[in-house]
Amino acid sequence: MTIELKNLRKSFKSGTVIDDVSLTVAKGETLVLFGPSGAGKTVLLRLIAGVIDPEAGHIRLHGRDMAGVEPEDRGIGMAFQNFALFPHMDAFANIAAPLTARGRSADAIRQTVSKVAQLLKIDHVLHHKPKELSNGQKQRTALARALSAEPSILLLDDPLRNVDAKLRFEMRLELPRLLKSQNATVIYVTQDYKEAMALGHRIAVMNGHGIQQIGTPEEIYLSPANTDIARLFGDPVINLLDVRPESRDGRVVALLSDQPVPLLDDYAAQVGQDCILGLRPEAIRFVGADTPGAIPVEVEAETPLNEKTVSLVLTLRGREIMVSRPAGSPGPASGRAHIAVDATSAILFDRASGQRIAPARNTIRKEEVA
Amino acid sequence: MDTVSPIERILRGIALTLICLFFMFPIVWIFLMSFQTNETILRVPPSVVFSPTLENYTALITGRLETQAGTLDINFMGNLWNSLFLSTTSVAVGLLLGVPAAYAFARLKFRGSEDIAFTLLSFRFAPPLLVLLPLTIYFQQLGLANTYGGLIWVYQLIVLPLILWIVRGYFEDIPADIEYAYRIAGHDFWSTFRRIALPLAGPGIAAAGLLSFIFAWNNFVFALVLASADKQPVTVGALAFVTASGIQYGQVAAGIVLSIAPTFALALYAQRYLVEGLSLGAVKG
Amino acid sequence: MTNADPDLPRRRFRVSRKVLPYLLSLPALLTCIGILVPFFTAVIYSLQRYRLSQPWAREFNWGANYANFMTDPAFWNTLKVSLTYAFWAVTVQLLLGLGIALLLQKRTRMNNFISIMLLMPLMTAPALAALMWKLMTNPGFGILSYLAGLVGLENFNWASDPQTAMLTVVIVDVWVYTPFIMILLLAGLRSLPPQPFEAAALDGVPRLFVFWRITLPMLTPFLLTATLFRVIESIQQFDIIYAMTQGGPGDKLTVFQVEAYLNFFQSTNVGRSAALLMILWAITYVLSNIFIKNWLRLREKQRNTA
Repeated sequence: MTIELKNLRKSFKSGTVIDDVSLTVAKGETLVLFGPSGAGKTVLLRLIAGVIDPEAGHIRLHGRDMAGVEPEDRGIGMAFQNFALFPHMDAFANIAAPLTARGRSADAIRQTVSKVAQLLKIDHVLHHKPKELSNGQKQRTALARALSAEPSILLLDDPLRNVDAKLRFEMRLELPRLLKSQNATVIYVTQDYKEAMALGHRIAVMNGHGIQQIGTPEEIYLSPANTDIARLFGDPVINLLDVRPESRDGRVVALLSDQPVPLLDDYAAQVGQDCILGLRPEAIRFVGADTPGAIPVEVEAETPLNEKTVSLVLTLRGREIMVSRPAGSPGPASGRAHIAVDATSAILFDRASGQRIAPARNTIRKEEVA
Repeated sequence: MDTVSPIERILRGIALTLICLFFMFPIVWIFLMSFQTNETILRVPPSVVFSPTLENYTALITGRLETQAGTLDINFMGNLWNSLFLSTTSVAVGLLLGVPAAYAFARLKFRGSEDIAFTLLSFRFAPPLLVLLPLTIYFQQLGLANTYGGLIWVYQLIVLPLILWIVRGYFEDIPADIEYAYRIAGHDFWSTFRRIALPLAGPGIAAAGLLSFIFAWNNFVFALVLASADKQPVTVGALAFVTASGIQYGQVAAGIVLSIAPTFALALYAQRYLVEGLSLGAVKG
Repeated sequence: MTNADPDLPRRRFRVSRKVLPYLLSLPALLTCIGILVPFFTAVIYSLQRYRLSQPWAREFNWGANYANFMTDPAFWNTLKVSLTYAFWAVTVQLLLGLGIALLLQKRTRMNNFISIMLLMPLMTAPALAALMWKLMTNPGFGILSYLAGLVGLENFNWASDPQTAMLTVVIVDVWVYTPFIMILLLAGLRSLPPQPFEAAALDGVPRLFVFWRITLPMLTPFLLTATLFRVIESIQQFDIIYAMTQGGPGDKLTVFQVEAYLNFFQSTNVGRSAALLMILWAITYVLSNIFIKNWLRLREKQRNTA
């Protein structure tokens, strides 16, 4: 493991920020730290970089304990959310800073800087001071500085946060290729779930001082550990509906407007319990009134959202549900309509704790085998 | 505002004129006096019409004062040199001691750091004689009496708190991430301090230096208590000069002009930082 | 792998993070601690009967120096003179400084020029300022004595007359330090947010009302800081008074530090001198604690808005 964090804890005067965080990142892996602001993502990066010390716990990089190792000896490259460029040095000197520290020759420095600058398309502004650079150029300079010494570990603290939407879109496409070419172990911090899904081999969701879930983007999206995480991933936001599963004709169903929506049979144990049903907007579609199990709704509003069209519908009981469909596909803009639910992707949460209820399938299978 | 009536405008003008007259007149008058011979100074009624002479200045610079009683050696240039030397060295020492300490207080919050910073600040407000009078006795014992070294040490009382609190503010204004970035790039603490913190706090350090120079230059009581004639700065020297030169008022005026000119020049140069310095770093002008 | 990055040169000497802050601030601290020693010595002196002229009679008399003050008219005179001086100097400076700041509030080229010019007295060493005024109030040729004569004040002797000595030194103090109050209040006035004033102007609120209800309350932190600063300094004033009259005529101007200085060097009564300074220190200590609290709040506020 390139990065190993064990039971890290850090608090400031304002309170505990990191509480008992453990995490490993494999060599060459890109791990995304995802979470709302104040979740402790930046603090975690600073702990790894060694600019602040943990109160408890261990940090191991390349298998070596980092207690008492100064930041300059950790061999890390880091890009900051606010870029943190050295205002009194030009872009060249900024990018060269990790190289001068490593005692490279002037020639080697020139070559490396121009190579990285070309890669990031800032070779024409190398002699500008940070205040003469556009936001996008600043961001690229900051990235170039993090990359220039080809560190084996890269910490990227929400580097796209302060750039405009167009550049963010471009960089989101460009970054995975760039990170791959570096062959580095990366921890990438972001608050943007799309960025997280696009860049991470795995995503660690931080919320309330700790890591709540770690998994591949698919795992996080399809089986979020709790309702909070379910809500953070996906746009439009997942529908969370209070339900009490029932058993009907030998099947487990949830009732929406008295229409039984069949759930996976593996949720048999949840019959009669207070649950929350999580339905992604794209798992719901408009259907004709004559479709079996169709739920009558009133279409309240319709908004285009990027490549989707999102409708807000009200069930007869007044529950709000979001439905999304590919933009341009036909659908009712208002008035009465019917929806059907693809229950295979439905996620069931315990209402009291908000935790996801894992389908019992695996255990049943095991019992069957036994 | 467009609502200013003509009467108000006139009243404001009169008020400002009177204010300028009160505050500028003494400086102008002494300046004029410094170019007059004793005869024109002693004229009644006083008049601003006279043929200017440089003889007061030449007398001061050559150090020879012609009086009715004979020729008097006057060491005013020595006082000027003492002022320059004491102020410059005190500020240099103050910066050397104060800038790293300011950085420690700004960045590396450590146990008791705030208490220590305030204690240093409160030195600024203690009656100086409280320390100076026992110090005369100690200085005798330590062999520091009437030495530049002893004076420069005591001057730290005014120089250090000023430098500490102004420069601290400038260090606090540097985003910590910039320093972190340099560390992570592979530079150790000292080179980060030298190449990032010091240059970025540069204007503040310069301002603190200039201002503490002015305060050191204008100090009177330290040297009055601790220095004999050969180590005295202009503030003390000018006073002794009045008694020594008897009625050579032109020379006294010229001495005053020479003594206040450096601080005026520095104040004009550093005017942007004056408010900050005078409020010990609390208010930016 | 034992090294995080084999590319990095290892450094041999390293200061631990815990020691570093102390290492950086220690020289400054030691310099000042050297100055704390005489402070404690002064405490001891103040508890002793100690005359430089009679070193053999030196002994602890504990609180006697302080107790003697109760019945010592000279002490009460010192206290009275110091407080009178501080009161008049600061009051006049405050009113005058506030007035000038208000006159110069608008950022015009002329106003900026005047405000810089007005700073010159503040840049003059107080001792030299006293000397300048001494030249101007010389009974023989002083321009101010002449002008006083013109307005009918014959034989107006300024600092050498017990009647007008206090007035004269207060004028010099006002001349030197009014710009201090002015420049702080000017910075304060110019840093006030414009919205309340624009709103008041739109609503046609009378300007006097705006001044009392908006300007003054918002300026209070600056006024308080500037005033406390000046009170602390003027109650300890030494330079101007010593350079002007050395405490005279008679005991008219024997403020704390001048009296202590004369006690020490002229009557060589170290014990009494130290006790006087301890009392002055106690007064300024209380004041400076209040000052530092205000000053800190102001600093915090200014840093956050900047």
